[in-house]
Amino acid sequence: MAERYDIEAVRQKYIGIEIAKSSGRYPVEYDAIRRHCHMADDNNPLFLDPEYAASTEHGAVLCPPSGWLALYFASLGPWPAVFEPLLPIVPAPGKRIVNMNQEVEWFAHIKVGDHLSVRRRVADIYQKAISIDPEAVWIVAEAIITNQRDETVCAIRNTLLFHRTPEEVAAAKETTP
Amino acid sequence: MRRPQLHWEDVEVGAEIEGFDIEIRPRRTFLQISGSQDWYPVHHDPAFARKAGHEDIFMNTGFLQAALVRVITDWMGDTGFLRKLYFEMRRQQRPGDTMICKGKVTDRYRKDGEGWVELEVWAENERDGVTTPAKAWVILPSRDGV
Repeated sequence: MAERYDIEAVRQKYIGIEIAKSSGRYPVEYDAIRRHCHMADDNNPLFLDPEYAASTEHGAVLCPPSGWLALYFASLGPWPAVFEPLLPIVPAPGKRIVNMNQEVEWFAHIKVGDHLSVRRRVADIYQKAISIDPEAVWIVAEAIITNQRDETVCAIRNTLLFHRTPEEVAAAKETTP
Repeated sequence: MRRPQLHWEDVEVGAEIEGFDIEIRPRRTFLQISGSQDWYPVHHDPAFARKAGHEDIFMNTGFLQAALVRVITDWMGDTGFLRKLYFEMRRQQRPGDTMICKGKVTDRYRKDGEGWVELEVWAENERDGVTTPAKAWVILPSRDGV
């Protein structure tokens, strides 16, 4: 018989803990920014053209204000990754993941050449049913990203939904007395 | 040549923000992976996505955020500052969809001596309407230099 998932025990053990801390191996780079802009057809010269960016008050190419890209440079980008973004450290009945929302607060620009670091922690864990999984688990994670001067450049908060596949839900029902 | 700069005084509440369309075709899903470096299979492997209960693969958070940020940064100009962005992945953008991204100004005020503007920005498609609603807080320069 499958072991019962104890949401209260998981909450007590993991809420508030730091789940990852890392510094990007490489500085913020032109080409990763170029690829990022390309996927959304973003032709902003401030993100792509060093000559143009140098003519502005910024003085250098800016990283687009995307929390995803900031996390990439702080940890996820280089291979091997320092940590995966999907919080495997927190146990949940299901391993399938959907990112439900993200909030990013910016305090400073990120420029090409900056070195970023990140600290991540679990802010909340709760169980709420979805249509395909009555035992889906929702995890709220926070990340603080700093630059080489130890200035906080952004704070990210996102909610990840962990769920089982329909097959896994059906199999669990069969084994439940 | 510098691009024209939007100033706080010139913003009108209710004004629409011009956006763009992106067709979600196979090439775009590959660009999504290249640009986000998100290798989670639900965004590129239809069998994996269907086994999880989804109808098909769907575009990831990095891609959607890049599109929403493009709407905002194209609008605010070089000197604008995106102070905060909140967005939700409520429905999906899938292969075959045309994703439409745009926005509108919802508020304008001064706070701590700076010119703030609040925006609603979103991605939508024909099948599901608004898939990715977002709210953004932007600080714009003033004509008097403040």
